[in-house]
Amino acid sequence: MRNPRHRFPISPPAFLLPWLVGVFMLAGLPLTATILLSCAQWDGVDFSSATWVGVRHYQELTTVEATSDPAQNQPWSWALLGGKPRDALFVRSMTNSLNFACLATPLSLTVALFLAILLNARLAGMTAFRSLAYLPHVLGGVATILIWSWVFNPTFGPVNVTIRFAYDLIDPIVRIFNDRGTVDWLLPGWLTSETWCMPAVVCMHAWTAGASVFVFLAALQGTDPDAHGAALIDGASRWRRFWLITLPQLTPAILFNLVTGLVASMQSFNYSYLLYNRAQNDGLLFVVLHIYRSAFEPPYRLGYASAMACLLFVILLAFTALTFASSKRWVHYAS
Amino acid sequence: MQAESKRTILRYGLLVLATSMLAAPLLAALLVAVMPIEQVYALPANLVPERVDWRNFTDAATRLPFLRFIANSFVVSVSAVIGAVLTSAMAGYAFARLHWKGKHAYVAVLIASLVIPAQILLIPQFLLFSSLGWINTYKPLIVPAWLGGGAFNVFLFWQFFRTIPRDFDDAAKLDGASHWIILTRVMIPMAMPVTATVALLSFVYHWQDFQKPLIYLSDFRTYPVALGLRMYQATSGSWINLVIAASLIALLPVLVVFIIAQHHIGPANAALALGDANERDDD
Repeated sequence: MRNPRHRFPISPPAFLLPWLVGVFMLAGLPLTATILLSCAQWDGVDFSSATWVGVRHYQELTTVEATSDPAQNQPWSWALLGGKPRDALFVRSMTNSLNFACLATPLSLTVALFLAILLNARLAGMTAFRSLAYLPHVLGGVATILIWSWVFNPTFGPVNVTIRFAYDLIDPIVRIFNDRGTVDWLLPGWLTSETWCMPAVVCMHAWTAGASVFVFLAALQGTDPDAHGAALIDGASRWRRFWLITLPQLTPAILFNLVTGLVASMQSFNYSYLLYNRAQNDGLLFVVLHIYRSAFEPPYRLGYASAMACLLFVILLAFTALTFASSKRWVHYAS
Repeated sequence: MQAESKRTILRYGLLVLATSMLAAPLLAALLVAVMPIEQVYALPANLVPERVDWRNFTDAATRLPFLRFIANSFVVSVSAVIGAVLTSAMAGYAFARLHWKGKHAYVAVLIASLVIPAQILLIPQFLLFSSLGWINTYKPLIVPAWLGGGAFNVFLFWQFFRTIPRDFDDAAKLDGASHWIILTRVMIPMAMPVTATVALLSFVYHWQDFQKPLIYLSDFRTYPVALGLRMYQATSGSWINLVIAASLIALLPVLVVFIIAQHHIGPANAALALGDANERDDD
């Protein structure tokens, strides 16, 4: 018998070719190009006008200038940096994206887990409920963002009309203690307010959590029924059984949803592009929109935008690495 | 027994509550879409229309060349779906059934390509496509789908093909079938749940894609529906009832495709339609 390795052809099969070309042309090559481009200055028009600038873009992005003016309007992120960043919009957009990722991902996961637990039962009509829970995920896009922007309209939108209605209901009671009743009570400006635009978008994002629901559902269906039976005999309450038996078995699914959720939300573009308005004071400027504007709007700073993209990549890698590193403490894999 | 039925009622109650909260924004949209404009902006605000005006839907579809946008989206999405299903099934078949030297390295590349964030690649991809003269064509939107159809889809096919017993391949081979025949006549039909999942995910991805058309298309007659809606928002945002009506029209094809695909995915395999979070970075 010949060495079995010789049975294998050296070249990959033709079936792999389309994928291979795709990986090389659309991922490998562009990844290298982004890194190279980030060290060059180029407007994308004429190749001869490109110049090598080394790490200057990275310096520009990370430079913090000392401010002599202790203005009160400084955002809190500057205080952490110890001065005024050279590209204040980059810092602002990165802070916004991090805020969004760190608020939207845990909320989406909680909503998804809650839905998955409800859907994990063999009852009549459960298939229809599952479809309904998944539906927002496939509908999520420009159309639903426009619908949500109506829902959050500060004067005419359903959310504030409902809040106003609730205020009116309790108004007579409030008037017992206070002459003005609920007249001065808060009606959030949502997408027209610097403070409230982020909570509004986080809600919109949690609505599309359908895909994570199914990851949790698959994990729930894979949990070990014997452990439940044993705990039931021990007289553990439902709640304790969930905390001590079900939840630990779900931790691999939580890890998966956490990593994919963080990475996807750090890259979100549509909310930022479609809902951006002046009244928010750049409160919805996400880093991906800032990259897009730097690259595709005059003066077309392709190199500078690529440097931002590379920094985003590093941050995403760090996010993922941190999550995986911490997972040793809280993720339990079935033996 | 008493406690069990109480629990079932509670579960149904919570399910109805949760799903109606999910449906609430769509219901609110439907209400405003059939409102006459003077009632939309009437104070005190009222959520329920006094009279139902279905003409808003025809107005919304005719004010901009909206049906054209929908047709454009169909052209892009359907051509992309065919490519994505075919090429990711081919790659999945190669990983599941074929052997060649250095296969482990290719598996590593597949996993690595799964975690590269799409946004990082945008600028060089734009430079590549513009150097090919593909700006203002659908090629930058469709051709990538024909080049592997996304690492996640390759993974789905690979994992499902592994579970199909080799007896089926062997029987086909005895009949003299080539790999191509085995893939298209035996494997893809047997993997219907995955095929439907991949088709659904890539249809939705291309139908909802906004950023790439924004970068590559500038002639509004070629706009897909996502860009058309943006144009609606920018040009007639104050006619919110029409904008919302147009949005609902744009969602209808996704709903239909979702229902058809669900039928083929089947409830038992619903878990397959799991997280494509890496694919869908567009929200």
